[in-house]
Amino acid sequence: MLKLRLSGLSCGVCGNFRIPMPIPRSYSNSASSIALSSIDVKPKVPLYLRPPSFSASVSELAKWHKWAKNLASSVGSTFVNLDNGPDSTLLRRELNWLLQDLIELQHHSKILPRLESGNNENLDVSVALRAPLEEMYCVWRQRIEERRPFQYVVGCEHWRDLVLSVQEGVLIPRPETEMIIDLVEDVALNNAPELAQGVWADLGTGSGAIAIATARALRSHADGDARGRVIATDLSPVAVAVATSNVQRHGLEGVVEVRKGSWFEPLNDVQGELAGVLSNPPYIPSGDMSGLQAEVGQHEPIIALDGGTSGTNDLLHLIDGVASMLKPGGFFAFETNGEKQCRFLVDYIQNEKAGRFGDINIVSDFAGIQRFVMGFHR
Amino acid sequence: MAMAMGTGAGFMNVMKSVDQLVRSNGVSLVAKAPSSFFFMPQKRKGLGYWQLYCCSSNSHSNNSCYITLKDEELMRQCEMTSFKASGPGGQHRNKRESAVRLKHLPTGIVAQAVEDRSQHMNRASALARLRTLIALKVRNPVSLDSYSPPSELLQILPRSSTLRTSDSGPQIGPNNPKFALGMQALLDLIFAVEGSVSDAAKLLGMSTGALSRLILSDDSLWKAVNELRASKGMKPLK
Repeated sequence: MLKLRLSGLSCGVCGNFRIPMPIPRSYSNSASSIALSSIDVKPKVPLYLRPPSFSASVSELAKWHKWAKNLASSVGSTFVNLDNGPDSTLLRRELNWLLQDLIELQHHSKILPRLESGNNENLDVSVALRAPLEEMYCVWRQRIEERRPFQYVVGCEHWRDLVLSVQEGVLIPRPETEMIIDLVEDVALNNAPELAQGVWADLGTGSGAIAIATARALRSHADGDARGRVIATDLSPVAVAVATSNVQRHGLEGVVEVRKGSWFEPLNDVQGELAGVLSNPPYIPSGDMSGLQAEVGQHEPIIALDGGTSGTNDLLHLIDGVASMLKPGGFFAFETNGEKQCRFLVDYIQNEKAGRFGDINIVSDFAGIQRFVMGFHR
Repeated sequence: MAMAMGTGAGFMNVMKSVDQLVRSNGVSLVAKAPSSFFFMPQKRKGLGYWQLYCCSSNSHSNNSCYITLKDEELMRQCEMTSFKASGPGGQHRNKRESAVRLKHLPTGIVAQAVEDRSQHMNRASALARLRTLIALKVRNPVSLDSYSPPSELLQILPRSSTLRTSDSGPQIGPNNPKFALGMQALLDLIFAVEGSVSDAAKLLGMSTGALSRLILSDDSLWKAVNELRASKGMKPLK
């Protein structure tokens, strides 16, 4: 009962902190003036990019850290048993990452070990923070009590060698998906180097993860002046805004173009010309949605997860459309829910699309689960 | 005898897993381990200190070849797994379990990393760790008759070594990624002189005390030297 009241209170307090971020206004203004004026969604600034304009004494910070650690420890294996959620070990690791984002990098080596060791010297020394400590109490409660995903709490996800902004309304890119870029490099670009100069598409781009990493792969495989580029599409205005700001932050404005629309719809001008088509579409069977881990099912956009009764609605739509979008020799790779979907899709391609694709393959992710279907247009 | 048997069994396991990987992987992301890498179990003084030899048909690379491989070449010799594969993964899950475990198939050496926030960065950390472990565990043959220390070894020696030249640059410490290469060459030499620090010191143009200090400056190097000395019935360095 007490717990519930506290969490209700924390939401109210957090509301005050979440909306009027005082300093980063200049950042979001500059972002909105470029591409977001027509979309009306302002991407949030991730914690690690906010200016360190707040402060707390070492003892205040240590007090918060001890409280947060105890809250993480109190979870034990409750969430694991409930819905295969995070355990205390993982939550304490997230707490360390939260601290890393809160404190400027150059102070990490001085401050972080002190919090662990409980060193009592110079407790009144002041530490610069990127958010007020009160907000940290709030967001850590949200993390534990509301199961708000850690990535939404800090506003970013580390994915491959990128740090991508994410926020509510945008799917958090998964570690499994990192491998799509390895397929682009190892299978497509190494076997058909000319694809590096073509136009690629990332459909349902979300945060823009696949599009941005693909653009960087195309650039590193570029030969001379000919440069490939990427078009990222998404139906969701939040995704379009967040992907656009991630593209800008990685200095790829001329290389990745974000277009609003469903799947192939915004791509009429490049029909039959694409060098590659990539996607991590929603693929969870509708029946599995209610049993999802709370971080996913209660916080991430359902539109990015629910793939219909068997989970393959969007994947089939992509396979139906991809033959007419790719140029001859063009590459495609799609992420799936696992072995069952992979086999179903390969059967579908071989029976319904006979002769249109070659080198069809199923590729397993790092955990050994068959995850990707890929191939080349004949 | 039991150790020698164990080594043989390990060899079989490694080869079996390479074979399985090659056969089970429809996509050639994991390449076949080159046949020019081979194991040579050695029994010395009744103790089963085993030795991994590493050779290459490449004419320009003579020794220490695994850790001179480029990242992607070394990666190709590895099997990568995450720790937990429970449940369907992918969009179902948000656990940030981006832990990476690399098994270097030719040697069976395993390295892992869990503390980074992306799969990709954990893979890089695990690969760096694997290089250090290979340096510590894989021994290359050294010819003592005409021994002259390779440049990567000279780089980790203190200025007091008479073999250092102006080309050797400033001394590299354990935090430098190039330290592993020098450490491997040093261990190769100490192995070749049967664990004698004073013999190795002579060949490196420095005093026994100075070489001991270098060995003691890095815990993993120190431990490796002592394991090697123990295998030859010698007292540990302190």
